[in-house]
Amino acid sequence: MSPPATTSSAVQSADALLDVDQIGISFGGLKAVQNFSLKLPRSGLFGLIGPNGAGKTTVFNLLTGVYRPDCGQIRLGSTQLGRGKPHEITAAGIARTFQNIRLFPNLTVLDNVRLAGQLRNSRGLLDTVLRTRGYHQEENGLREKALNLLEIFELQDRAEELASNLSYGHQRKLEIIRALATDPKVLLLDEPAAGLNPQEKRMLAHSIQQIRDRFQVAVLLIEHDMPLVMEICERIVVLDHGVTICEGVPSEIQNDPRVIAAYLGGGLEEN
Amino acid sequence: MVGTVSLSTKNREQKSELRTGNALLGLLPIAAGLGIATLMHFFLPGLIGQFYARIVTDIGITIVLAVSLNIVNGMTGQFSIGHAGFMTLGGYTAATITYYGSMFLWDSAGKHGGFLGSGEWLFIASCVAGGLFAAFAGYIVGLPSLRLRGDYLAIVTLGFGEIVRVILQQTGKTIDDVEDFKNAGWAQLIPPPVGGAVGFDGVPKYTNLFWVYAVLTITIVVAYRLKGSSLGRAMISVREDEIAAQAMGVNISRQKVLAFVMAAFFAGVAGGLFAHERGVIISPKDAGFQRSFDYVIMTVLGGRGSITGVTLAAVLLTALPEMLRDFEQYRLIVYALLLIFMMLVRPQGLLGIHEIWNFWQRPKSSVKSASPEAQV
Ligand SMILES: Nc1ncnc2c1ncn2[C@@H]1O[C@H](COP(=O)(O)OP(=O)(O)O)[C@@H](O)[C@H]1O
Ligand SMILES: [Mg+2]
Repeated sequence: MSPPATTSSAVQSADALLDVDQIGISFGGLKAVQNFSLKLPRSGLFGLIGPNGAGKTTVFNLLTGVYRPDCGQIRLGSTQLGRGKPHEITAAGIARTFQNIRLFPNLTVLDNVRLAGQLRNSRGLLDTVLRTRGYHQEENGLREKALNLLEIFELQDRAEELASNLSYGHQRKLEIIRALATDPKVLLLDEPAAGLNPQEKRMLAHSIQQIRDRFQVAVLLIEHDMPLVMEICERIVVLDHGVTICEGVPSEIQNDPRVIAAYLGGGLEEN
Repeated sequence: MVGTVSLSTKNREQKSELRTGNALLGLLPIAAGLGIATLMHFFLPGLIGQFYARIVTDIGITIVLAVSLNIVNGMTGQFSIGHAGFMTLGGYTAATITYYGSMFLWDSAGKHGGFLGSGEWLFIASCVAGGLFAAFAGYIVGLPSLRLRGDYLAIVTLGFGEIVRVILQQTGKTIDDVEDFKNAGWAQLIPPPVGGAVGFDGVPKYTNLFWVYAVLTITIVVAYRLKGSSLGRAMISVREDEIAAQAMGVNISRQKVLAFVMAAFFAGVAGGLFAHERGVIISPKDAGFQRSFDYVIMTVLGGRGSITGVTLAAVLLTALPEMLRDFEQYRLIVYALLLIFMMLVRPQGLLGIHEIWNFWQRPKSSVKSASPEAQV
């Protein structure tokens, strides 16, 4: 297997917002991800691609604390995330969506968003039970914030509906809104376009860029749709069998023989 | 299907109604509940007679137990079948305090003072102490819930109830003579002599409709306010999807332990009410599986997290056996069949996740998701 190839460029500055250094994990004998490194700058929009089973989702799980890396370092801003619990990492500023949608099906759309917005809420049991002024202030704030987000994404009319009653496309959208409600610095999107039709994909591509600008987040995007990735991502990392085989700007990736080989070998799902 | 993501640029003006806090308003439901409890205490026995008043008392205590268990099983989605263990632990703690406390204070284990008299205050303070002790046990039992899931957690809670039962069986005979009690050394008082296998007899019978329905009011207000709050949403998110909950910043360990502690507290207080109820001799077997199972059935029947649903189930399952004389011998069979029937026909419980009044409100459009199965 070819060694990780890194094409250096000005984007890879030392003051990257998210600095991932040589993380890896094995499941039994399977080295799912090895020596994965990434420097994601503030407001960067990077792509993470690779054939099915390459280890893309595993990278997200490592970054968000679902799995503990066997080795390596993860730094966000000036915080060393190390081996934090998932909720601590979310509080530090990394939010994600799930490839297989994981909404709270029996909560309303509003509550799904409110729940995500409340992670820095300080009200304890006593405030809750006594319904103090502080409690009401905080709850009102949460509600407003959630409704604002829903309005931005034009889902406010569905606020009181159960999340499980939304259409598939709306559920994908709600996943993104929910992740944004945690006020992240870095947004990890795991195949947000999966199952959408071409027109929806185009709108999604457009809005990912808008989200990046409006919410001032850096985005790491896993996506199988090559034209979409090539169009919106500034840099792309290619994984195969857990190994980074190539990293660079879209034009470099497109013509890299190793990428073409990996996809031809692994069965490309490009349309 | 509608477009997936399109950002609207306009900013919404604040238009949702804002609820403002007011400490007095916050106490209103509790004041109302206490008012009703007082009315019940003075008028209900006269209206319906002692026999039915006793059933109403039983129902009140059972609702406290079922609604509190629902914080763990319904809201947080854990599966505890040791709730009677917490109840009995709280009951024995409270009974020990009133029984020996009364001997110490008033030289007799009998009732002391009238309605809201000093004896009753000792009684309700002992119930709170029982609740706190049970809450401490809840904390200990809640810890394994951080690592164990489903069946395994159920077995731990089941084991807890059995441990409480066995330990209480090993205790000594109660000291019923005041002089003996005052002359007893520490060796005789530790562990507390609370009657062993035959149960704790002679506990002053302070429990009345007022105290039961006062505690019930507080339990329901707390459970309901919890459910509608950030804290409650965090608990419910644990039930819905632990991985997603964590990813949204929920400390799931804290939510689980908090649920166990709260549920155990109210179970302990209810145990105190039970131990001091007329016609009841609290005994080690109350901590056993059968009683825990009763409360589990009520939460399953009522609906996951539905406070009114569980209350309804508690009323039905307490009243029916009392009304139907011969029911007791078939109880377990009927409950088991009921459970199987519910699992087949309405696994979400009578009311599901809703409260009763949700059914009168405008029906939510239930457009079924026309989506393909999410790929993994
Ligand atoms: N928890 C796990 N236990 C064992 N193997 C796993 C686990 N998670 C992922 N894997 C394996 O790691 C590899 C990469 O999976 P994944 O990251 O989901 O791929 P991708 O998202 O790129 O399609 C696969 O072979 C998968 O089976
Ligand atoms: Mg994946």
